[in-house]
Amino acid sequence: MISLALKYLVSRKRQSLFTLLGIFLGAAGYVTISGFFVGFQRYIIDQLVNSSAHVFIQYRQDLLETHSLDEAFFGSDMGHVFWSARPSGREDYARIENPMSWYDRLDSDPRVAAYSPQMTVAGLLSKSRASASVTLTGCIPEKQSKVNDLASKIVEGSFSDIGSGGNRIVVGRELQRQLGVELSQNINVTVGSGTPTPFKVVGIYESGNRNSDLQAFGALADVQKLDNAANRINEIDVKLKDYNQAGEVARNWSKMSPEKIESWDTRNSNFFSIINLQTLMRYVIVGVVMLVAGFGIYNVLMMTVNQKMKDVAILQAIGYQAKDILFLFLFQGLLLGVSGALSGILVGYLVCRYLQTLTMAGPPGSTTSEHLHIALNFGIYSQAAVLAIAASIFASFLPSRAASKLTPIEIIRGGVE
Amino acid sequence: MAIVAEHVDKVLGSPPSRVLTDISLRVDDGEFVALTGRSGSGKSTLLYVLSSLDTPSAGSVSIDGMDVGRLSPTELSRLRNEQIGFVFQFHYLIAELTALENVLLPARRSGQERTRREYAESLLERVGLGRKLDRLPRQLSGGEQQRVAIARSLVMEPRYLFADEPTGALDSINGEAVMKMLEETNREKRTSIVLVTHEPDFAARAKRQIHLADGKIIE
Ligand SMILES: Nc1ncnc2c1ncn2[C@@H]1O[C@H](COP(=O)(O)OP(=O)(O)O)[C@@H](O)[C@H]1O
Ligand SMILES: [Mg+2]
Repeated sequence: MISLALKYLVSRKRQSLFTLLGIFLGAAGYVTISGFFVGFQRYIIDQLVNSSAHVFIQYRQDLLETHSLDEAFFGSDMGHVFWSARPSGREDYARIENPMSWYDRLDSDPRVAAYSPQMTVAGLLSKSRASASVTLTGCIPEKQSKVNDLASKIVEGSFSDIGSGGNRIVVGRELQRQLGVELSQNINVTVGSGTPTPFKVVGIYESGNRNSDLQAFGALADVQKLDNAANRINEIDVKLKDYNQAGEVARNWSKMSPEKIESWDTRNSNFFSIINLQTLMRYVIVGVVMLVAGFGIYNVLMMTVNQKMKDVAILQAIGYQAKDILFLFLFQGLLLGVSGALSGILVGYLVCRYLQTLTMAGPPGSTTSEHLHIALNFGIYSQAAVLAIAASIFASFLPSRAASKLTPIEIIRGGVE
Repeated sequence: MAIVAEHVDKVLGSPPSRVLTDISLRVDDGEFVALTGRSGSGKSTLLYVLSSLDTPSAGSVSIDGMDVGRLSPTELSRLRNEQIGFVFQFHYLIAELTALENVLLPARRSGQERTRREYAESLLERVGLGRKLDRLPRQLSGGEQQRVAIARSLVMEPRYLFADEPTGALDSINGEAVMKMLEETNREKRTSIVLVTHEPDFAARAKRQIHLADGKIIE
């Protein structure tokens, strides 16, 4: 039966080839497109996961309600308070209320790899006439380097030189340009209505992203002093041992604390909705290609079945069973599917390897260029194979079953008359 | 051991029309029966019913004591493969297979392709195709193709051979050669043969003639 199936296929070379081509393109396309998208996504995720913390604990900002302040002003025995001017605005202490209990909790949680308490303020940096308003983050450098990769992006000086105090500062490359400041020079830092304080630039970092290069980092104690807020922090960045747990950890902690807790993936939810869209598009494209390819198989087999009715009759008359006939045609479809899938996967793989050698401009806002990141994981390839083969089985089943349902007498009677 | 038909009716088509009426007959082992009658008298229909390819609308057909209508698909296909040979008016060779492969097709079904190979070659030699074993059907003449079909029907050394006007599309020389093959097979292998023909010469060479008119046996 197998050799007969092969001979049928060979005897209609052109149609077989076209059908094969359909499956081939479907599989190759799936592998290449997926490789490209998944590789890109994974690259971005890697960047995010390695370069940033996984869970962010921040003070919560609430908007004041009409009665938010009743108790604070009048105690609990007032029944109802009528405000002539309603309280409004942010309830903004800009702090994490009980950092020590957080430290205890983080120290004892086995999922936590490292954490870094921070005090982030808006500040004005100036050098002679040039000035820039920036986000200034106070941190403990040894802890900060464990939760993100800022330290590795230093291009001049050193991140740890910030030390534990002493008015030293690290600035982003863009900020450095705007201020026209050099390493070891001083700049003035003003926070709120405080007096300008000179800070010495001990490091310059370049992250590849213009916006993050417009920030500055100093020692936690220095920033607290600038804001007149000793011991106050407003964020703790946490690195987990396994970043996949971030969502679950964030949900846990949210339940038992007043702070606002975000995981890295919700913080980057825009990015994830793009990923989902890409994945959807990928499936749609491949679905359409497979549909067309499957339809090709269906057509070719239907035609073969119609042209080979007499063969079916004679095969049954000399003792072949319906299941043999089913196999005869199913095998043809399957062979087209499997060989199309395998060759498509192989060519798709080669295309992916080639794409890997190309360079691209980095993500938007970045100033570097890199090789294309193409995923070559087994999952994509097995998905392509399963998809292509499933499509071809599906497409060959109906014609094959129609052939196996034929009875010899119907064909012979029809043919002779 | 025999083929026995009892009160067989066959109704075909829509509106239904009666093609065979109350046919009872018996083909014993080693017999050579000719089915004759005008075109449209029901010869082919009777042949298909007797040979297990078709089922009667009423009555029964049994082969070697087994009611054909009660056989499972597996038993039926086995019966056709091992006990029954068919030759049709049109040869129904498979275009993609060579003469020898076509002849061996029934043997392949039961895994005897190797063991029957020599026999298949000798059959093709006997019908004068010893040098054309590897030809495809389209490289053979009509007469040659029909001889391949006969070799195919004999390759399993069946107990019963059914032939529906095998000489109908052949010239007299080829027709004679085919007829000789059938006679030899009947004589040497004691194969029962049921031959549909409307050539009186060939019918006369059978041991028994059954004449059909309007779907009934005329004695
Ligand atoms: N599928 C069918 N539907 C209706 N009538 C049919 C069918 N096949 C054959 N017949 C009729 O049955 C009769 C016998 O046909 P057949 O057995 O082929 O005769 P023969 O072989 O003797 O020429 C004819 O009258 C033919 O028209
Ligand atoms: Mg006829």
